[in-house]
Amino acid sequence: MNKEDRITPLFEDLKKVLEGKVEDAQLRNTIKTYIEDYGVDENRAKAAIIKKFDPSTTSGFVTADTVSKKIGDLTGTEMNIDLTVKIVYVESREVSIRGKATPILSGIIGDDTGTCSFTIWDRDDITLIKGGTYSFRNAYTKLFRNQAQVNIGTRGKIEEVDADIDVRSTQMPSSEPTVAKIGDLTEGMGSVTVTGRILSIEARNVIANNEPKTVYSGIISDESGKVQYSAWNDFSLNEGDTIRVKNAYVRSWRGIPQLNMGDRTEVEKVDDNLIELDDTVNRRTVAEVINVGGAIDVEIDGMAIDLREGSGLIGRCPTCNRAVRDGECSLHGRVEPVADLRMKLIIDDGTGAISAIVDRGNTEGITGISLSEAERMSGDAGDPSVVSRRIAEIVLMRKVSVNGNVLSDEYGPTMIVKGISFKPVDVKAGAERLYEEMEATL
Amino acid sequence: MNIREVAWRLFSAELNGAVYEIKGEAEKSPSYAVTPLGAMVNRVLMAGVLTEKENVGTEDDPLWRGRVQDTLSGSFYINIGRFQPEAAEAIAGIDTPAYVAVVGKVRTYTTDDGRTFVSVRPETISVIDEPARDLWLLEAAESSWSRLKTMRKAISAGTADKKDLVSLGIREKDAEGVLIALDQYGTPNSMTYLKPIQNAIRTILPDHSIDLGLPEDIPDDYPDEIEIEPGSTARDNADMEDIVLRLLEELDTDGKGALREELESKAMVEGITSMELEEITNTLMDKGLVYEPNIRHLKRI
Repeated sequence: MNKEDRITPLFEDLKKVLEGKVEDAQLRNTIKTYIEDYGVDENRAKAAIIKKFDPSTTSGFVTADTVSKKIGDLTGTEMNIDLTVKIVYVESREVSIRGKATPILSGIIGDDTGTCSFTIWDRDDITLIKGGTYSFRNAYTKLFRNQAQVNIGTRGKIEEVDADIDVRSTQMPSSEPTVAKIGDLTEGMGSVTVTGRILSIEARNVIANNEPKTVYSGIISDESGKVQYSAWNDFSLNEGDTIRVKNAYVRSWRGIPQLNMGDRTEVEKVDDNLIELDDTVNRRTVAEVINVGGAIDVEIDGMAIDLREGSGLIGRCPTCNRAVRDGECSLHGRVEPVADLRMKLIIDDGTGAISAIVDRGNTEGITGISLSEAERMSGDAGDPSVVSRRIAEIVLMRKVSVNGNVLSDEYGPTMIVKGISFKPVDVKAGAERLYEEMEATL
Repeated sequence: MNIREVAWRLFSAELNGAVYEIKGEAEKSPSYAVTPLGAMVNRVLMAGVLTEKENVGTEDDPLWRGRVQDTLSGSFYINIGRFQPEAAEAIAGIDTPAYVAVVGKVRTYTTDDGRTFVSVRPETISVIDEPARDLWLLEAAESSWSRLKTMRKAISAGTADKKDLVSLGIREKDAEGVLIALDQYGTPNSMTYLKPIQNAIRTILPDHSIDLGLPEDIPDDYPDEIEIEPGSTARDNADMEDIVLRLLEELDTDGKGALREELESKAMVEGITSMELEEITNTLMDKGLVYEPNIRHLKRI
């Protein structure tokens, strides 16, 4: 290829990006130097030259100027902002995007105007330490459950800052006192009163504000559902107690509401007869779960209407357990994958739809196809997709009952399935019931 | 957060009347067809007998049309194009007649002379057995009946205020749909919607004498033929995202990604303007589905 041809397109691209920050002749010469004199590859050169002439740019392709913002001012529509924040909480996990395991860092950040949640996509180059202060650059925000959430994509950047900032907690309960059923608890409720039975309790020792503290947590239930609780003081709770909790507040983590009993919370023991728990406690419709955002230990009946990509026989990286695609782990390159079986189902009950991730044991159980059988099928056909097709034939358009925890993320609500079975429906009895009701009404 | 649209269970009599469409205006907001009973439908789950199918496209570029009879008194139309390859492959392998279940998006198409036709564009179509079909009949019957009751409640309340309806125990979304339906179509003729319910119950309970006291000569209210738009112009953002993702795969011949210029011209052929394309690719980048290896390329992850 003629050398001049390599420079002109680069020149045109860079000229647009740099918008008059440099003279044409100088730009052309610089490109020449990078490409011809030093043999730098074009993409590298491009990023380097942008940075050279436009030091405010933190990554190669940011064209708009960023704006510094405070958390309290975020509206959820910002495109390109800088924030200096303290990490209040951070957690790393991974999701599978089109079969590719993608790392996600998420948690809560704060500054002197408030706190909000954040998500960092597909950046295994970033490590965040709880309590550390960082500058988030080229971040963007989205509305998530009506609150601004800060996101860092592939174009964003995070730098550690040598400073400490005071975080103003927006987590203080502020709203009017309300009496609620546990099944109706949602993110952001403050001063809430619930009556329920302690199903489990465990004590944990944590360090809060540099002091050791014992936190009690577990599950509390009433007729409408179950919720995790955390008690930051010793309310002398015991398993099996029926209690009335006043002035508690609700925070959600990944969509799952949690009841928090803090300094202002009052707890009293009440008559056990106030709460009668039976096996319908866990039953929800999809719409009910979506309204709340998440739930622990719920049971949903619905139609399995879709089997998503990434279902059936899959390979996992032997090192990190991520699902691999074409034998390539996104982190560890070419690997000898370990076979696994799973289903990513869409369950729709007519009120709403949620994803359900079904592990190997449960997949084997409901389909009757064992992992070794799946491997044999795949080997015989020379194509692993025979397995997912066979699974689709077995489970799709069948009514199933699933139970597990439901959490919410960018992809909507997802149940991590603990158990799944086909749900037999007496269609004739249902039709008779409907007919009787219609006859009586019409 | 992307909350997946629910798959409505409804009969063709109600679906085919859903000619009024609310287009999603904001980014990523879906479109809804509003039925005469007030269901705001984006996705459906429907079942019945696939009675006819025809590929009016080519083998490489299929455009399948089919007709599914859901009850004795009605049927609906499906069309499957090249952007639903799984469904296209599936319908190619189904011999008519067969019980099928269809999960898909509702499409409305208005001809030049102002007639509007409703069809379903399947995401999946699968062969089911008779018990599964009967289960669908029951779910569709229960769902239709519940909408009829809600509609009746709203009409007797005689109010056009959503808040009043919500205070009567009607869910907000349903109240919104009911008010739009009453505004667009007026009071529904309940016979039209009771008849498929009666038919469904008769099919499930062949040994019972099922009679809701409806006149037996209600005309079957569905078109013999419908016109389906030639291309596929009526799309929401989710459709366009799918198209762009497929184009990116097709254009990525050397692993470097798709050239932006090529993507732009191919997208243009599919009726996506460069402004729309810009918006869609930004959304896809935000979702972590595509990235820019460099300024000139765009690549699917």
